Amino acid sequence: MPAPRYRSRSLRRVFVRVPSGKSVLHYRKRKPSKPTCGSCGTILKGVPRERPFKMQNMPKTFKRPERPYGGVLCSKCTRVKIKAMTRQ
Amino acid sequence: MFEIGRLCVKIAGRDAGKKCVVIDVLDNNFVLIDGQTRRRKCNLRHLEPLDKIIILTKNASNDEVIRALKEESIECEEKKEAKHKQSQRPTKKKAVNKKLEEAKPKKVKTKEAKETKKENTETVEKAEKPETKKKSVKKEQKSVE
Repeated sequence: MPAPRYRSRSLRRVFVRVPSGKSVLHYRKRKPSKPTCGSCGTILKGVPRERPFKMQNMPKTFKRPERPYGGVLCSKCTRVKIKAMTRQ
Repeated sequence: MFEIGRLCVKIAGRDAGKKCVVIDVLDNNFVLIDGQTRRRKCNLRHLEPLDKIIILTKNASNDEVIRALKEESIECEEKKEAKHKQSQRPTKKKAVNKKLEEAKPKKVKTKEAKETKKENTETVEKAEKPETKKKSVKKEQKSVE
């Protein structure tokens, strides 16, 4: 039986291969939900799904696509938005 | 629709939202663009045409395009000339030491230098010798007692 604090499923379980060759069960915190587009709600591409302590150490260019509204809107919605702005 | 001189807005990629001019029509699907964006080949799907046409020659240079856009009150960043940048990494110690050694004046062994060295050593020996003698005398006295 696992220790009482590990019996709930609030932590995710990760099998880690240790140097001796055994695979050991480790408990880690769950990842945050996937980032979504602000207008249509689809899952954004090019945005990593990591906890804040990992995101802090990443360079800015790894964290979102490098275009206007990158990391906020999906590519389709940005096209629509820019088109609408130019036609005004 | 996408003829030479057509003013467009780029919709996709990192230059999205920037204005550009068609310089050359390469294909049914591709054109060459320049202006606020980088000078590059571009898919027609990534462009939104505007209602203006600027008079330009085919494959006009970057300076010409920037000048033409300025007249339309569209400002572009002038491309800086790529300079040879010196790396900002700390230089290796070995290389620094080598440079310092080269900068130092080399020691030249001359007869005068040798003579001065000899004199110095002799004076040091003379100064040390009486102390050693005294110590030996003291030891002898102790042994007698």
